[in-house]
Amino acid sequence: MATVEVVIDHGHGSSRIRDDEHEIMSMTTPKGHAPVNQAPGDARTPDPAPVDGRRRLLTGGLAAAVLAVAGSRSVAAAPNEFSAAELELLRYAQQFEMTASSLYDVASASGPSSALWEPMSEQHEAYAHAIASITGLSADSRNEELFDALRDSFAGADAVQAAYDLESAAVATHSELLDLIEQVRGAEVIASIISAESRHCVVLADALGRGNDLTALLDNSAEPILP
Amino acid sequence: MSARDLPVTDQTKDAAMTAPVSPVPTDGFDRRSLLRRGGLALSIGAIVSACAADFGGDTAPGRVGLADEPTTLPDGVVDDVVLVRTMQSIEHSVKTALELMTAEGMYSSALQTYVDRFIADHETAAAAMGALAVAGGGEEYACPNTWLMDRYIVPIFTAVSTSDDVARDARTATHALETLLAHSYQFMVGLLTVPAHRRAVMVQGAAASRRSATLAMQASAATHGVLGPGINADAPEKDEAGFPIPYAIPATFGQVSQFEVVVGAQDDEGARFSTLLQTPAENTFVYSYLSC
Repeated sequence: MATVEVVIDHGHGSSRIRDDEHEIMSMTTPKGHAPVNQAPGDARTPDPAPVDGRRRLLTGGLAAAVLAVAGSRSVAAAPNEFSAAELELLRYAQQFEMTASSLYDVASASGPSSALWEPMSEQHEAYAHAIASITGLSADSRNEELFDALRDSFAGADAVQAAYDLESAAVATHSELLDLIEQVRGAEVIASIISAESRHCVVLADALGRGNDLTALLDNSAEPILP
Repeated sequence: MSARDLPVTDQTKDAAMTAPVSPVPTDGFDRRSLLRRGGLALSIGAIVSACAADFGGDTAPGRVGLADEPTTLPDGVVDDVVLVRTMQSIEHSVKTALELMTAEGMYSSALQTYVDRFIADHETAAAAMGALAVAGGGEEYACPNTWLMDRYIVPIFTAVSTSDDVARDARTATHALETLLAHSYQFMVGLLTVPAHRRAVMVQGAAASRRSATLAMQASAATHGVLGPGINADAPEKDEAGFPIPYAIPATFGQVSQFEVVVGAQDDEGARFSTLLQTPAENTFVYSYLSC
């Protein structure tokens, strides 16, 4: 699908319109005074340039406004790059992340005290929002089934173990999704989440008191939680 | 009668003072003859050489002498096979670096246990990438990446081996190389075209991230925590000695950006060896026409 990009450079008063491969047109909207190239007192026919410049300015502004609207439409259309099946998978990943965020909120409210809960919750929420930014799917819901299944464990004394298990499962789940998503933008976001959640596992292994356990630190034997 | 025999008058005396009399020709070779004949010889030489046969020299303006024909490399096509071969070569490079530091006894005994496991992991990962290349119709590349070795591994190893704290720098270097692998695997996802290949590299990328985080935990968790400046605004980027602080969770998302590694002894000006590690690019790729 062709996309149109409008680039407005305020610093130089110029605009460019690009499609996928080409720069279609460019325009310049002058800022400030026109350069002086006529000596003082030089009695010649009044230069019509100011009128033309104003007209060009108006025309350019109108064109830029039209193109900005066109550009904003193309941004809104970007999620259509994903197939319906891919959107379903990314919706699932997004809800998984919102669930994880909620579970860390549960741990923060009623689980054992830890400085990790709040930043972990925020990070998983950020992952859900990142998926929203590429798909247009609002990050406004979680996987209620998964949340209900894990809520008690996050509220109890074994919250750290539950968190370690959840992060390990998240890595396994997202890795499976990578196999099913064609669009590279979706794959890149999922990959960046996998990298971060792998690091979460190490920190949680250490919090579990298994900081010298190579298996807990380095191996991931969790099964994916798939729809 | 020669000019020498003429009577000298005042006029001729004046003239003789201003216009020297031509010297007597000696054996037909004087300065004028030299100039004339030399010029003639040069002119003829130039004409002859211009009309001579082509000796095969460079005809480009400003080029002098003969030079070998430049070697033209084949066109390098970047496809999935090239990318996984590149990752295989980086795994071998990191494995080689860890083996070098092990052989030199640079690791503490506690860390050596981890490093031994890391070396085994790199062997496994390299084999997995090689298998992926073969499955994709290419050949595996079971040796270190030359570019990476020359630019990164050898200079880092050299600096560590002459450090004022070898154990500290060996851990720093190992963390940097594991982080480079993690960044590189994640970066490759954006270049690979087959979803199964993306999944395969991220299985290894996740493992590299865990190794990187493990070393960061050991190095700085007790003193600086686990959350880096990308998450915690109060987290410093460098310690008091000027070393970049490794964090187990440096940022919210996985990173693909370049990062600095500082190792080695201080020089006369107090500076240590430092370099920026970057994800693979066209000059690092192991193209299909390359072999070990």
